[in-house]
Amino acid sequence: MSAHEPVLPLVRGLVGPDGRLISADQRLNDLNARAGGALGEPLAVPQLARLARLAQRLGILVSRGVVAADGADDLQLWVRAEPGAAGVSLTITGWSGRPAWTAPATSGEAEHAALAADADWRWETDAALRLTFLTPDVGTRHGFDADSLLGQPLTTLFLLGGDETGGFPILGGLAMRERFEDQPARLRATGEPLRLAASPRNNIRGEFVGFIGAVTVERPDSAQTIDDAGGAFAARLDTALRAPLGRIIANADSINAQSDGPLRQDYAEYAADIASAARHLIGLVDDLVDLQAIERPDFHVAVEPIDIADLARRAAGLLAVRAADSKVRIEKPALGEALPAHGEFRRVLQILVNLIGNAVRYSPEGGVIWVRAEREGAVAAVIVADQGKGIAEADQARIFEKFERVDPREPGGSGLGLYIARRLARAMGGEITVDSAPGHGARFVLTLPAA
Amino acid sequence: MSISDRDPKTGGRPAAPTLLARAAAADLRADRRLATAIDDAFLGDDGRLDDRARAALAVTLESLVGGLETTIRAHAARLLTARALPQLAGLIADGVPALDRLRAAGLLRDPELMHELIGRVRQGLIADALPIEPPDRADQPSLLARLSRDPDQRIARGAVALLAAEAHRKAPIVTGTTLRTDLPAAIHRRLIWWVAAALRDVAAGDIDALDRALAEAAQRSIAAHDESDGLEAASTRLAAALDARAEELTALLTDALADQRLSLFIALLGHALGLGYGDVRDLVLDPDAERLWLVLRALELDRTAIAHIGLALCEADPRRDIEHFADTLDSIAAIAPEQARVAITPLLLPPDYRAAMLAVARGVRA
Repeated sequence: MSAHEPVLPLVRGLVGPDGRLISADQRLNDLNARAGGALGEPLAVPQLARLARLAQRLGILVSRGVVAADGADDLQLWVRAEPGAAGVSLTITGWSGRPAWTAPATSGEAEHAALAADADWRWETDAALRLTFLTPDVGTRHGFDADSLLGQPLTTLFLLGGDETGGFPILGGLAMRERFEDQPARLRATGEPLRLAASPRNNIRGEFVGFIGAVTVERPDSAQTIDDAGGAFAARLDTALRAPLGRIIANADSINAQSDGPLRQDYAEYAADIASAARHLIGLVDDLVDLQAIERPDFHVAVEPIDIADLARRAAGLLAVRAADSKVRIEKPALGEALPAHGEFRRVLQILVNLIGNAVRYSPEGGVIWVRAEREGAVAAVIVADQGKGIAEADQARIFEKFERVDPREPGGSGLGLYIARRLARAMGGEITVDSAPGHGARFVLTLPAA
Repeated sequence: MSISDRDPKTGGRPAAPTLLARAAAADLRADRRLATAIDDAFLGDDGRLDDRARAALAVTLESLVGGLETTIRAHAARLLTARALPQLAGLIADGVPALDRLRAAGLLRDPELMHELIGRVRQGLIADALPIEPPDRADQPSLLARLSRDPDQRIARGAVALLAAEAHRKAPIVTGTTLRTDLPAAIHRRLIWWVAAALRDVAAGDIDALDRALAEAAQRSIAAHDESDGLEAASTRLAAALDARAEELTALLTDALADQRLSLFIALLGHALGLGYGDVRDLVLDPDAERLWLVLRALELDRTAIAHIGLALCEADPRRDIEHFADTLDSIAAIAPEQARVAITPLLLPPDYRAAMLAVARGVRA
């Protein structure tokens, strides 16, 4: 139960040792009457009757969340049943209509996971704000004796500071027992600047029993973006996203394939949508990892002798299925045709797959894509031409920029492909150019030093 | 993966013989699947793992075996590199996961290993589901936080060590550090040797040098293992430091459950009875719980205390039936402590003797 819900008055009742309702506040009396009961008769709400009987037999206070039917609706009640000499007294709080779905109140696992995803390390406290958990190796990593702080007040670990507006987010969190974030702090032992975030832990009855918190270390260049974060960012992105996305795709595909049994057709199709969205995200991860790599100062490509006519055939081959799906024909360099050049094999293949893939995406049904390899003096070129709607002159520079799209209305694609392709081509001493006119298709030319 | 493998025009061809072979074996596979499905359909409900326990067990196994494997691979690779065998070092650095090989070899069905792991998994699931009771006063710390400030240094240190051990059990294993399995030494040793043996099957190279490196890496991991590091050991030490008198024991037991410290609850009972941790864990995790009620009565816990403990365990463990417990509570409370002590004497016999009795009984039944 969140702290923002209006506090309802307690509803009380008394159930005799024989299970009859002796007295009840109005709300309980009404609920009981709607269930077909009356004062002096056995309590007619089965869940409450059962709880009262349990408390009676155990001889101890039993406190529980109960869902009771009230006409067509469900009621969520927090009930304390306490046995005494006169019978079992019921105290009901949190009288509310039951929401369609409630997350299990005990775990807070989702919030926990969300906090942990961004955090450098984690902490937990009990209701009196004594530390009960610290990420095991945090002391070694940050230079303090973590174990000796377990059981101590939270403030022996952190020195709290005001935020940009002079406020203390943690105070609001403590007062309302709700989630707070961006609380500036220092590690008391070392002075290391930190940001704290935490969400409350509640027990099954929704009572506050402590905080689950996360710590983010404030790094000097705190204005880090994807562009200038270290290689660690890409590595983390890769591992953090690729495996879960892979699982999503695998599961969605097997739901779609109905491998565990038949399924209504629209659900199977939703699963296909989920898989395709996840594939799109994996593509984006690939692009971001590439982007991160090529923007590093120490990025370099291998320069080796390659045959770009062969590469163009391979790239076209890789896209043959997608082209067939879109009813598009790719005319690739003839078998045996060769054009030696200098560049890195897999990077050139990556560029060509991107260019031909774009051409497939923007080609009309029944269209043709021409892929040709030509030598122009000291330059080897691959030309990819399509019959799509073309690109206006004004847009031709824009599409090579980060997060720009040939057509922003088209679904799919990250807007990074052409940017990455051009950066790669330039790193190999080449270039990608485009010429096009609206309605007349587009022609992308990859040039590399000829061998 | 090479480019041509992904080319749809050539991708299908090399697979054709495999496909034919698989098709030929289809009857046999279908038969095996049917046998598995029949076994599955007629498995008894008693003792089955529920889905949560099964998933948690799989995760525990994966992280334990995976962690040991990473440590052994890394160390063996270092040794091989130092011995100028970089190619072999490269081979051992990655390969078929040991878990797959151990599973295929059937070794993981080892009753002692599984007894320990299933006990640990169930203990963890029940502990997490125990209803935390907020303190009576808002500023009153939880049990272990309170004990960590005890004037008795042994108790204070024990409480802090238990909090640290719980954190270790709960937090995901950090790669690159030495893995703490928290397993009993004998099981830890057995698992290490299995993992090492599962890793020796690399394609080619100097097998003698590989065996030497793996054996050294395994021995190093065995030497680094300290049984007294674990959660169970920390709980046992704290229980010994507390050395609760009978009148304190009741409050400590209920407080331990209210703070989700099931391991401390087990260790407190173990200390009071003079029983080992594993034996008490078995009887605390037993959903029928008759032995637990006898033990609590033998320790002179009253009806109210047993009701609190029973209620908490029923709330946390879906295998238990609260209605059945409420029905039997009066007869539990009616047992005299002396009577209960007589009834649990078999539990107090030497563990090896009890294991032998069980083995004989099992043999006779079969």
